[in-house]
Amino acid sequence: MQKIQSSLEKIREEIEGFYDQKSWHFLTLNGVALSNEKLEVQWIFSKYATPDEVVVYYIEVPYDVEIPSIADIIPSAIISQRELVDMFGIAVEGSTKGLYLDEDSMQTPLKGCQI
Amino acid sequence: MSRKTINIPLGAQHISLLEPVRFKFECENEKIVGVDSDVGFVHRGVERACTTKFKFDAVGYVVARICGLCAITHSLAYTVAAENLLGAQVTAKAAYLRTLLLELDRIHSHMLCLSHTCENAGFEAMFMQIMGDRELVMEIQELISGNRVQFDYICIGGVNRDITAELGKKILENLTLVEKKVREYKDEFLNNWSLSLKFRGVGALSLEDAYRFNAIGPLARAAGLQTDVRNEMSYLPYKEIGFVMQMQESGDIHARNMVRLDEIQNSIEMCRNIVNGLPEGEIITKIKGKPQGETIVRYEAPRGELMYYVKGNGSAMLDRVRIKTPTFSSIPAFSEIFLGQEYADAPAILASFDPCLSCTAK
Amino acid sequence: MFRKFRKKSPWILHYNAGSCNGCDIEILACISPKYDLERFGVINTGNPKQSDIFLVTGPVTFRSRERLVELYTQMPEPKVVVAVGSCTCTGGVFRDMYNVEDGIDRYIPVDVYVPGCAASPELIIDGVVKALEVLEKKTKAMEKPRKLFSEATTKEGIVDRRECAQKVGEADAKDTE
Repeated sequence: MQKIQSSLEKIREEIEGFYDQKSWHFLTLNGVALSNEKLEVQWIFSKYATPDEVVVYYIEVPYDVEIPSIADIIPSAIISQRELVDMFGIAVEGSTKGLYLDEDSMQTPLKGCQI
Repeated sequence: MSRKTINIPLGAQHISLLEPVRFKFECENEKIVGVDSDVGFVHRGVERACTTKFKFDAVGYVVARICGLCAITHSLAYTVAAENLLGAQVTAKAAYLRTLLLELDRIHSHMLCLSHTCENAGFEAMFMQIMGDRELVMEIQELISGNRVQFDYICIGGVNRDITAELGKKILENLTLVEKKVREYKDEFLNNWSLSLKFRGVGALSLEDAYRFNAIGPLARAAGLQTDVRNEMSYLPYKEIGFVMQMQESGDIHARNMVRLDEIQNSIEMCRNIVNGLPEGEIITKIKGKPQGETIVRYEAPRGELMYYVKGNGSAMLDRVRIKTPTFSSIPAFSEIFLGQEYADAPAILASFDPCLSCTAK
Repeated sequence: MFRKFRKKSPWILHYNAGSCNGCDIEILACISPKYDLERFGVINTGNPKQSDIFLVTGPVTFRSRERLVELYTQMPEPKVVVAVGSCTCTGGVFRDMYNVEDGIDRYIPVDVYVPGCAASPELIIDGVVKALEVLEKKTKAMEKPRKLFSEATTKEGIVDRRECAQKVGEADAKDTE
């Protein structure tokens, strides 16, 4: 597992430059609560036909920012973005709440539950 | 005159679906022009419970309850992740026994999917026949693990039960019977009008779209995209037991069925190799310590790629367990396939995806 | 005539209220040739308005609870509810998770509980056969004529309607005597 740190402003460009749909497979978007104020967001990729090669792009952000959407580069990311909104209550460009929870739900189940 | 569309819902409770999922199809005459899906009916919140309610050695049994069909894959993927964090190795025999049960699970899951496809094509007799033959596999699973569906077979460090010589013989016997039946199904699926011609060209996914939407599992392999996690990992002995990737070109329902049938045959072959060449040794190794660090484990579930991200902090409670299930990441591809199809085909197309909503919503 | 056939051929409605699929495939296995629930005349139907037995699996999740109650109210009387699986009875492993309502008896009355994770086909068949007995009992109870009024009592020459109307449950208590 190879981890590459990025920043909120640059992450879209970096993924756009890195992602090639013939050789890289987008796994998922993942969030890890580091504390009550900080969240680590990861974009996870794996390589086709190569054993155990996984690349993770990650950024560390506070909860009140808006994460840029990559749905125009990778269409299948849209569903993980909606899950991130539901689970952490963080804003993602173009994604609304209501995949698992109700649209008006106040819950943010995974926000700060890890101590 | 403006375009007129009609919204037709499918679900939440529907006879052709096992699970509650709702699709809203926007139809123009018979053609589907828009799809809206609602998959959150079975959301239970397992991810949170894994980090707040259960200690790390019990989580393996909790995540198995995410899905009854691929329970063994879930518990294996979690267990391997935990073993990575603990820095442990399992014996060769334990790895072989794990693979045996995984492949048996794949056989019965694919048979369930095929029977469902038959039912949705209106072929009730075939549905009954496949379900009846599936009991042969369920019987072996019950003999090996002690339960029919939720096995709780894999534990951290190895497996919970050994197989005896008589049991090995029984497994081989039953597998021979199943193999004969699968050859018959293949004949039916290739030559029977209601199963082969009807399904050709329906619900097709092109190779280009498979790449674009990151299709996985039988869906991708039917479209000609060479992806199978069994080929892309090193912690189970798939190379030694004769794994062959099964491919088709056309990407329609028929191709998906053929991929599943071929995979059943390949899995039977692998199970036979495992039982015949089972190494000697202990089935369980004692492991001490607490998980520390982070890891990503992928495994091929019957429906496609399953991913676990586990982060530990050196205590008995884990920091984060992220579960990415196969159906979850295929939903964008599903929606794409539905566009342009006829509404009457929708249940058949849906059954051919073999969706698992309790996986999706966790 | 209907009475006879209802007992002989009960129709099943199956709803998944958030289970892991394990019990659902066991219900399917029940219908398949090896266990063959259909020899009792049982047919799995998708229409709540035609079914007699309601098989529910899963610890009711937050979003499926409305559908569960809706399906229950759509079924005609008499109806029997069978809870299949540990998590349907009590919540099981999913108890106390944030989106789970801990068992279906918080929402609808349950007649037969089938334990097990996942409930084995033999147990499910036992449960359905038990449900048939309950169904018959309920049918009989429904068809029994009931007196709504007892004999008129007069108080100072005036009929007291409040007195002569039977209290709730009184008629049933008399029947059992």
